[in-house]
Amino acid sequence: MTAAVDLSTTSTVTPALEARGIVKRFDGVLALNEAEFAVRPGEIHALLGENGAGKSTLIKVLTGIYEPDAGVIRRDGEEVEFANVRVANRAGIVALYQELSIIPSLSVAENIMLGEQTPRRFGIVEWQRLRKGAKAQLDSIHQRIPLGKLASELSPVQQTMVAFARALATDAKVLILDEPTASLTDTEITELFAVLRSLRARGVAIVYVSHRLEEVFQLCDRLTIMRNGETILTKDVADSHIDEVISTMVGRSASDLYPERGTTAKDQVVLEVSDLTGRRVKDVSFSVKAGEVLGIGGLAGSGRSELLRLIAGAQARSGGEIMVAGEHLRKRAGVGRTLDAGLGLVPEERRSQGVILGTSIQDNIVIANLGAVSTAGIVSGHRIVDITRKAMQSLQIKARGPRQHVGELSGGNQQKVVLAKMLARNPKVLLMDEPTRGIDVGTKAEIYRLIRELAATGTAIVAVSSELPELIGMSDRILIMHEGRISGEVDAAIADEELLLSYCYGKSE
Amino acid sequence: MNTPQTKSTASIAVGGAKSAGRWMLQGGTVVALVLLIIFFFAMRPDVFLSFTNVRNILYQVSILAIIAGAQTIVMVVGDFDLSVGATSALAGAVAAAMMIGGTPIPIAIIVALLVGLVIGLVNGVLIAYLKLSAFVATLATMTSVVGLAFLVTNGTTLFNMPEAFNQLGQGRMMDIPIPVFIAIIISLILWFILRFTTIGRRWYATGGSAEVSRLSGINIKRARLIAFTAAGLISALGGIILAARLGSASAVQGEDNMMFSVAAVFLGMTVIRSGAANLGGTMVGVAIIGVMSNGLNILGVNAYVQQVVTGLIIIAAVTLSSLRHKER
Repeated sequence: MTAAVDLSTTSTVTPALEARGIVKRFDGVLALNEAEFAVRPGEIHALLGENGAGKSTLIKVLTGIYEPDAGVIRRDGEEVEFANVRVANRAGIVALYQELSIIPSLSVAENIMLGEQTPRRFGIVEWQRLRKGAKAQLDSIHQRIPLGKLASELSPVQQTMVAFARALATDAKVLILDEPTASLTDTEITELFAVLRSLRARGVAIVYVSHRLEEVFQLCDRLTIMRNGETILTKDVADSHIDEVISTMVGRSASDLYPERGTTAKDQVVLEVSDLTGRRVKDVSFSVKAGEVLGIGGLAGSGRSELLRLIAGAQARSGGEIMVAGEHLRKRAGVGRTLDAGLGLVPEERRSQGVILGTSIQDNIVIANLGAVSTAGIVSGHRIVDITRKAMQSLQIKARGPRQHVGELSGGNQQKVVLAKMLARNPKVLLMDEPTRGIDVGTKAEIYRLIRELAATGTAIVAVSSELPELIGMSDRILIMHEGRISGEVDAAIADEELLLSYCYGKSE
Repeated sequence: MNTPQTKSTASIAVGGAKSAGRWMLQGGTVVALVLLIIFFFAMRPDVFLSFTNVRNILYQVSILAIIAGAQTIVMVVGDFDLSVGATSALAGAVAAAMMIGGTPIPIAIIVALLVGLVIGLVNGVLIAYLKLSAFVATLATMTSVVGLAFLVTNGTTLFNMPEAFNQLGQGRMMDIPIPVFIAIIISLILWFILRFTTIGRRWYATGGSAEVSRLSGINIKRARLIAFTAAGLISALGGIILAARLGSASAVQGEDNMMFSVAAVFLGMTVIRSGAANLGGTMVGVAIIGVMSNGLNILGVNAYVQQVVTGLIIIAAVTLSSLRHKER
């Protein structure tokens, strides 16, 4: 197995893009320590590592956003220096980020032929040629998206496709994708993969950054794993095993990702939902016991997230009853009321719903705990620092102190801040939407352990997840939703992915 | 097995010393104020820092300080209020008209304050509950409120208010004009509210991210409603003091205060790291505007030039602070 380690690219193919001995320091802290990376034309190459391993920094060096302190970059074997993003783009290197850089208020055609690609004569846009050019790019990836549609009207996968088409319009030879599947449904992911494979067949070099290892094994040809700013290994995916990849990423074994399932569920029902109805969700009923971990799955659009939002009062329900610890939640109860009734909410989108990035850890934690830190409307600075320090310690939040800005923390630590904010209220039922999205494997394991610890103290957990292994690993019981209704209920101890998937597609029990 | 825990807490204590360059950027606005003071002092050492002139500056900015305080609250919530100047003019006019008609001073003041409160409440309902943009809503109320002020004053300037009322704006305590005390007291109260009360924290949270705040259980509609209402009330107070200071009331007085209040808050936002509106910073902004205008006056610079320079100063300060954000 170790023979496959291939750091020096012994292959005779000249890499489309190659980085050798890249060093990058920020304020003296080593972010990249002689990182090595090479992607060949016509391959999909996964770049893996925990958050903070140096992937993003490396990508920024490769695309001209950061200037490396040492090391060489070669494009088709020739040494290059990218002064800025535009220079890198001209050299055929394009990065597509999670937040796609398409312009919502422009049409599909305009987005594809943006900037230097816009055909014009004497400064006047030639619309005919613009449309023709845009159509050619979409055709080349077999997409039929109306050219005149506004980008804001497109589905996430269509937006991704438009971003691809634009990259192709700029004659990209190296495409760098950062978590491209984060907001896509399974069918859309299949479509995306088909397009990526056709690009590979055309000789485009693709760098694929993802936390979803299953996808990597489905799609990629080779993988490179980074840890602590160093390149640990590069090898063929065919010669790799998922457990080995995880243990290489975290530097320890993967078997302890999920803690052992406890038998902490008590008899007392703390959350009872009957005939709950919203926009997508229809007549959903279930109950959760104290100390139980209930996983909720389903495809995107199945109503799994809306179900949580309805329970938490983040979205108004149109019908049904919700009881928390024997207390009825009124139909118009907002989040403030439902939290007071004993719920806690960890929302789906961490950066836009979970944390205020521009403020400190303590300011984030305090906003859900104003009652606990104040007397007669006056807040006590001591008490704020107290609950923050306690939370930071019990959740092992890695930060300089309570005043550090949340925007400076890693994704995993930000997620812990969201959790801390809610846990300081001692909720009876904790609702979590995608509890580990976009965070590294090490922190994932910590969060699974924490969920178990909470359950052991009698807290009920309702966790929505799009990842089936996660649902099986962390839950006691799993509900699967399909088109707004519950299509299946499984004991997690005997669940397998195949069964869950069949429920996801609507096969009833 | 305790060691990993202690280790992680120990590493928290490691802080970074800031480089001098970064400090300059961070404190850029304060440095600018100090430089301005040094500059004017160097130009006219005999006049600029004399007791009389410093008192004069404080007197000149006292009304702006009150109205900028009102603007700060609204900008903390992430909105802004174009109607603060108009509200202050209407409140001054209402108080003046009532007193001239024989209403006792306290009642006239209370009614004028209520007028401001109602205007703020209307702004709040339009913006928080009917979801109009703050720009549209307060532009509209500003227009109507100016109209009301013209109606109240009949388009003229009202004067002959009771001497006791005028004392509120013109009198002195310990040789310091009363409006200066009022501005200081209001500022201290607002500073306390913003910093140490739950409503203050709610305002900051809402301004930081309305959605995060809502999902954390904060009633963001109510928070915004209260912010606009408070701003209306405080603007009215500023307008009443202004009427007393001038001994007269007209529909257009204090027009500059709207624009300068926004400018002061913007300048103040550059003072702190998070870039949020904050009362201390606003007062630095007010001081810059006051020092500029007074200093240029002393040097005999034309008032229109002063306005041009004030705009340039704002651009400079905000540019500096955006450079700072880029660096991070």
